[in-house]
Amino acid sequence: MESSVLMGIGLLWVWATIAGLDLVSVPQSMVARPFIVAVVAGAILGDLLAGARIGIVLELFALDALPIGAARYPDYGAATMGAVLVAAGQPPVAGLGVGAATGLVLAALGGWTMPVLRRANARAIRDRLEMLRTGHAATIRSLQYAGLARDGIRSGLLSLIAIGAGLLIRHLPPLEGDAAAALTVAVVGAGLASVLSGALRTAGRSRRCRWLTAGLLTGSLLAVAL
Amino acid sequence: MPLAYGRASHGKPIGGGVVSGRGKAFARLFAVQAAWNYERMLGIGMGYAAEPLLAGLEATDSERHAEAAGRSAEFFNCHPYLAGLALGASVAAEYAGESEDRIRRLKTALCGTLGALGDHLFWAGLLPAMMGLALIVAVVWSPWWGVGLFLVGYNGCRVAVAWWGLRTGLDTGMRVGQAIASSWVPRVRRWVGLAAGFLVGVAIPLAGRFLLGGLGRSQILIGVGVAVLGLALAYRFRATFGGVRYGLLAVALVLLWFGVLP
Repeated sequence: MESSVLMGIGLLWVWATIAGLDLVSVPQSMVARPFIVAVVAGAILGDLLAGARIGIVLELFALDALPIGAARYPDYGAATMGAVLVAAGQPPVAGLGVGAATGLVLAALGGWTMPVLRRANARAIRDRLEMLRTGHAATIRSLQYAGLARDGIRSGLLSLIAIGAGLLIRHLPPLEGDAAAALTVAVVGAGLASVLSGALRTAGRSRRCRWLTAGLLTGSLLAVAL
Repeated sequence: MPLAYGRASHGKPIGGGVVSGRGKAFARLFAVQAAWNYERMLGIGMGYAAEPLLAGLEATDSERHAEAAGRSAEFFNCHPYLAGLALGASVAAEYAGESEDRIRRLKTALCGTLGALGDHLFWAGLLPAMMGLALIVAVVWSPWWGVGLFLVGYNGCRVAVAWWGLRTGLDTGMRVGQAIASSWVPRVRRWVGLAAGFLVGVAIPLAGRFLLGGLGRSQILIGVGVAVLGLALAYRFRATFGGVRYGLLAVALVLLWFGVLP
């Protein structure tokens, strides 16, 4: 493998790991959002538009989920990077469907790792209850750093899996015309359904619903005019 | 300069809310969820952030300091960006010599309040509003401008709110609930929600056009049909049928139809 390709993959791994840590642990600056991860990953791979397309379609799904409290939600960080790896350099219709489908599977897998991490943190705390009760500062610090390290390992491993999945799917025979278009249509349609249902659920029957309707009308007019 | 330690009257913190270690505690609040777990939730992160603020108490009363440090790492949960309000208020109450029972009740009361407030203000308000705007800018103008606008706008607001929260908590102590109710937060929460509704509404058709732009008319109509069906299913089975599940189901059906899956 060429050194420039290895460098690109290394950069993707670092970027997706940072995004994975940002999701919950530190600093929750929202670089883990699919749109942000995808545009940067697209730039790393030299296909900004493929990154933007993947980022926008996966963001439609992500906008449906509110990361509230102990809820389990998909982890789009590494998943989006894997999706962009699949779609970069492909024709738009062929790359978008397969890439986004890969991203959805990886995001669901990432969501499954969150409860595992949370249970591991709880186990570590149970072993140090007496020290915690007395407010032992070094114990609190060590639990905090260990939690951070666990999440770093979790997102690093997820990123490796996403890179492996992305490279593997790139080497499979590509989908033919109709199947590729159908996959793109299905994923985009599902994404639109997802963001709309989330927006309607949040708006309820309040004034926000009227603003949402006004926005949809404005957006439709702009989409026709542009 | 650390606060003087002593019993407060009417829950008012002693020392006008001046506590050393604010900067360090503020920085540590960015990692308040690093050890998140199902038993103490934010507890360990709160204890970690409280450590620099409680250092002044160690010099005056080491026994009280140990109790306060232990309490700071107990069960707590709220929206992570507003955790500073609870952290500041509970630390100010510790310095004011409030009873163990009152401090625990304060934290329990803040769990639900700050959780609901933060979820509305950020997860259902600022986040979709800024992301809707970013998607509009990305589609109409450039993806990089969308990314830049989102990260600067969102994080600018988030950092300012987190700093305000820590300062307000430290300054008001046990009266933090009144301070929140009379602050700008409830008003802004309403407006941010309306802006989020509008901006996400504008972004949806533009995103659909951007993503389906290269396809034929019949394929676009099928895409709209998939969206309408998904919306109906989400409405009917809202508790169990999230967007990702529908997406995976749609992908599986397409792959089965075209014989890609066995």
